[in-house]
Amino acid sequence: MTAITATPSVPARPRPARARDVLASEWIKLRSVRSTYLTLLFAAAAAVGVGYLVTHADATHWATMSASARAAFDPVGDSFSGLGLAQLAFGALGALLMTSEYSSGLIRTTFAAVPRRRAVLAAKATVVGAVTLVAGEVIAFATFFAGQRALSAHHLDVTLAHPGALRGVLAAGFYLAVTAWVGLGLGALIRHTAGAITAMAGVVFLVPQIVHALPAPWDVRIGKYTLDLAAQQTIAQHPAPGYFGAGPSFLIVAAYAAAALAAAAFLITRRDA
Amino acid sequence: MIEVCELTKRYGASVAVDGLSFTVRPGRVTGFLGPNGAGKSTTMRVILGLDAPTEGRAAVNGQRYQQLARPLHQAGALLDAGAVPGGRSARNHLRAIAASNGISARRVGEVLGLVGLEGAASRRVRGFSLGMKQRLGIAAALLGDPPVLMFDEPVNGLDPEGIHWIRGLLKQLAAEGRTVFVSSHLMSETALTADHLVVIGRGRLIADAPIAEFVQQGSSGDVMVRSPRGGDLAGLLAASGASVTAAPGGGLAITGLDAGRIGDLAAAHGIPLHELTPRHASLEEAYMELTRDHADYHAGLPDESRKAA
Repeated sequence: MTAITATPSVPARPRPARARDVLASEWIKLRSVRSTYLTLLFAAAAAVGVGYLVTHADATHWATMSASARAAFDPVGDSFSGLGLAQLAFGALGALLMTSEYSSGLIRTTFAAVPRRRAVLAAKATVVGAVTLVAGEVIAFATFFAGQRALSAHHLDVTLAHPGALRGVLAAGFYLAVTAWVGLGLGALIRHTAGAITAMAGVVFLVPQIVHALPAPWDVRIGKYTLDLAAQQTIAQHPAPGYFGAGPSFLIVAAYAAAALAAAAFLITRRDA
Repeated sequence: MIEVCELTKRYGASVAVDGLSFTVRPGRVTGFLGPNGAGKSTTMRVILGLDAPTEGRAAVNGQRYQQLARPLHQAGALLDAGAVPGGRSARNHLRAIAASNGISARRVGEVLGLVGLEGAASRRVRGFSLGMKQRLGIAAALLGDPPVLMFDEPVNGLDPEGIHWIRGLLKQLAAEGRTVFVSSHLMSETALTADHLVVIGRGRLIADAPIAEFVQQGSSGDVMVRSPRGGDLAGLLAASGASVTAAPGGGLAITGLDAGRIGDLAAAHGIPLHELTPRHASLEEAYMELTRDHADYHAGLPDESRKAA
């Protein structure tokens, strides 16, 4: 049998642990599974495809549209009609990064290799944040241009130079990354894939719908603090009446990601792995 | 070296580990034995800082595990061979673990070679047999070339070739001066590799001794005798102070007299003997004896007469 003794590739005196190493580890994990790529591809196809269909329908029906419908028409917002499906995929990507380790038991190997669990969580948040922010912005721009192409047939399209358009596109990409962070945080809290994805879908889709159904003025008073309704204000050309403007709404959206990750960081060191 | 000191771990109302103390020393294989549910895996998880102890502490190389910088260079562990992500290749799985402790990709190639998985390195782990997963888990434990190694039930589900390989590996690691701590619920398997035993039952320490000492401490032997005049022999031996019981399958089990004395007595009285066999309690029996009162779950066997240990 071959000797197991150390080789020069292993330093005799280990260097202190570095955040960069944990980042490298999580980066390898994220890019070495097929599901990462499939999830991002599905998200891109859903966002661009549904956005194109909806804007194409807008353009087709423009001639018969009522004046009020024409007034409410948002060439930027409508192109992001498929964002919800992309969010589901991004949220699941974030949640799975954590829950797949709990369900397989790999989390024990991970925490035995890096006992500072918050460093693991921070590395996962950084890696998934960077990937989903880049992918989210790419998807957002692709969705915007596809939508504007559909609208161009009836000269309803706008360019990025249109007031609020660039901000709306950037915000849509950011919202996707936030969904992934919320998924990651919930994944660390709930530790079960189905439960974490259900909770993520609840926060992103269900809660705003329920709040939206509340009698006025509570639908707006509470609604402007929900993740999805706040995010809509950052994407829309003009905020809906009673809601915060794009700036404060952006902070609310970011606060959801921060809260999910903070709760995860609080609990992750307090529970047995 | 692994030190466990007054360790207690409770989960709600149930006590998994109860005031456990022992030390695992380098240069030998230490077997960690106990019935299912005795607290072996819990103890290992606490040593690795995965579960927080309710009371007491555990240390690896004199430090709490959580305080180790780059712990893979200090201790390697295989807890559950099945705990691997199915979608990743063996090499990428190891690279991810290695990177977290600043271990090079070259070392990943080396440990893959050590466990004989070079050929399967690019395959996804989902398709691995349990034996291949055990090898992969051992490769992960060896990544940092650590002086302390812990394996939880490493032979479970292995084929004979794999079991033979693990036995050799454990002995080799200990011969290199490492601390090797291996849990099992099978005494017969542990006896083949371990130099020292730590036995627990219901979370408490039952024995902590070299394997030879363990046999003596556990149980004494008896002598198996067969004779066509069994009744006469039984009376004769009983009169000489032996304790005689009918052995299952015929014959007599004698304690209190050694084989030589029994043979002399039979010859002196002209009783023919067809068998005269001194029997040493096997390690398995010694182990059963020791843990009998500590097992959580008993099969519904007829109650045997309990010998005083």
